[in-house]
Amino acid sequence: MLATIVPLIGRRLAISIFILLIVSMLLFLVLHVLPVDPAAMSMPPTATLAEIEAKRVEMGLDKPLPQQYLIWLSQVVHGDFGTSIHFRRGVLGLVRDTLPATIELAVLAMIIASVLGIIGGLVLFHVRGTHKEPVMDFGSILLLSIPEFLWSLFFILIFGVALQALPFTGRLDPDMRMPTGTGFLLFDALASGRLDIFWSALEHMILPCFALGIAFSPTIMRVLRSSLIDVYQEDYIHLARLRGLSERRILVRHALKNAILPTLSLMGVQFGFLFGGTLLVEVIFSYPGLGNLMVDAVRNADLPIIQAVGLAYCLVVLIINTVVDSLYLVLNPKLRLR
Amino acid sequence: MMQFLPPWMRSGRVITGLVIVAIIAICALFAPQIAPQDPNEQDLVATLLPPVWVSGGDAAHILGTDSLGRDILSRLIYGARVAMLVAFFASLGAMLLGSVLAYIAGYFGGRIDSIISRAVDVWMSFPPVVLSLILMVGLGVGLRNVILAIIVVDWTRFCRVLRSEVMVVARRDYVAAARLVGFSHWRTITREIVPATLPLLITLVSLEMGIAVIVEAILSFVGMSVSAQTPAWGQMIADTRQFIYDNPWNLLFPILAVFFAVFGFNMLGDGLRRTLDVRVTATQRV
Repeated sequence: MLATIVPLIGRRLAISIFILLIVSMLLFLVLHVLPVDPAAMSMPPTATLAEIEAKRVEMGLDKPLPQQYLIWLSQVVHGDFGTSIHFRRGVLGLVRDTLPATIELAVLAMIIASVLGIIGGLVLFHVRGTHKEPVMDFGSILLLSIPEFLWSLFFILIFGVALQALPFTGRLDPDMRMPTGTGFLLFDALASGRLDIFWSALEHMILPCFALGIAFSPTIMRVLRSSLIDVYQEDYIHLARLRGLSERRILVRHALKNAILPTLSLMGVQFGFLFGGTLLVEVIFSYPGLGNLMVDAVRNADLPIIQAVGLAYCLVVLIINTVVDSLYLVLNPKLRLR
Repeated sequence: MMQFLPPWMRSGRVITGLVIVAIIAICALFAPQIAPQDPNEQDLVATLLPPVWVSGGDAAHILGTDSLGRDILSRLIYGARVAMLVAFFASLGAMLLGSVLAYIAGYFGGRIDSIISRAVDVWMSFPPVVLSLILMVGLGVGLRNVILAIIVVDWTRFCRVLRSEVMVVARRDYVAAARLVGFSHWRTITREIVPATLPLLITLVSLEMGIAVIVEAILSFVGMSVSAQTPAWGQMIADTRQFIYDNPWNLLFPILAVFFAVFGFNMLGDGLRRTLDVRVTATQRV
């Protein structure tokens, strides 16, 4: 098995690196047709034209675009993402400080989306052909029509403002200090034995994670339902029935095992969308992650940050897709033929 | 009652969706006639008024006022203009770009197909919100650029789904027959393949309109869409959110407007998917 899988995964990895390279090129191109002058922006307003011109040369902005790209790329490969124009800090440090928060948020939200999606898919499948089907179907369109940022605002209105049950700004209570460590707050809190911080962090994540999770679950529900319906047409399900297996056993041992595969590959795509969805949810909940950094940078036209954060988003999505595709190869023997 | 309607409309979903979309379209078209007040007129004495049914409400402002004393109902009605313009033109543009590439890729296959598919892969690795934000930084704010950004981001939604459908259709016997009779590639695609994929295309456009409404709301929420003078739902959400404790009601209305629009387009799309698809049986359509 390994002998056939490893080259396929290697190929997948090579494609991902190629895509990342193209993405970096596109990012660079889009951001360099901008009508703003990064050199002038990084100087104090009292700077003379000659000083700005010198800065332009220093930043390499006088060179042709392809050469500028290659200079930028070689710096990026060496871990130098430049200095933020607005924050006057190294961009890599800024991204490193905020990325774990976003990953933590996205992973927890994805778990919620998967659980809700699988339960919902089973329920939708269970009610097929009954009088409850139109109602449930209608419900799933209703859910599909509420994007994550509307859920966030609803939750803030209901649980934050009306019931005052849960906090809805930041990652921690204001009187708590972030424990040092990996930046993954739940992990750091547990590692340092601070259960109070762990609970506070978890409390702050409940609303944003559920907003994201609920928004991304309906697609999973619908795909699981239709692949279950497809699988139930197969001969081996009829055979299992003839053998006298219980419906529950048929569902769990035979149908679900096969129907989960298309659902899994969809979840990979969904995670990409969900990871992008964290951007606005973070802004709404003032959650200090990549999304807030990005929006700040966009408002200040802070190019080095926009480039690095854009790249960070793509990198995470590509990694997830590569992992899911590889997992798919391991789980689905049909794809290993050839 | 349904018998008097054309077949594609014989579905509760399609009718519900059409009614909702029509209401919003009428608001957008006739905003100056419908809106009770000028959406940009500030009344700094009457800021953050709650809706009329809450104590402290004013009958002159049925849904209350925002932080600058502007009438929320009027702004909602005018906001439908941006939402509908973006929904219409962005989804049409994304459809044109995405479907042309999908027909080329699915019909010809081979090298051109793998190039287009790779391009889709590159696009898919960008979270849509992130890519549209970056494009808005590059293009600058404004209605035309919002539409352009959504087209550039969302053409892949059409291309991905349509390409596989085209590949299936292109292998059918009647397509081969058309080629044997001597139809050109152009004629085969436009006369044989496009009609077969039209139901899917129409459904996708309808769903994309809902997505475009959401993306515009997101962009105007972070202040990267139309200028501050033009009323837009996302902007209203951003404005009223700052005063959530003083006046939670006012945040609810623009949220509901976005939801209502997206729900209408999704109902329409889901209904059309059933009524236009020849393979779905009559009982499944209702």
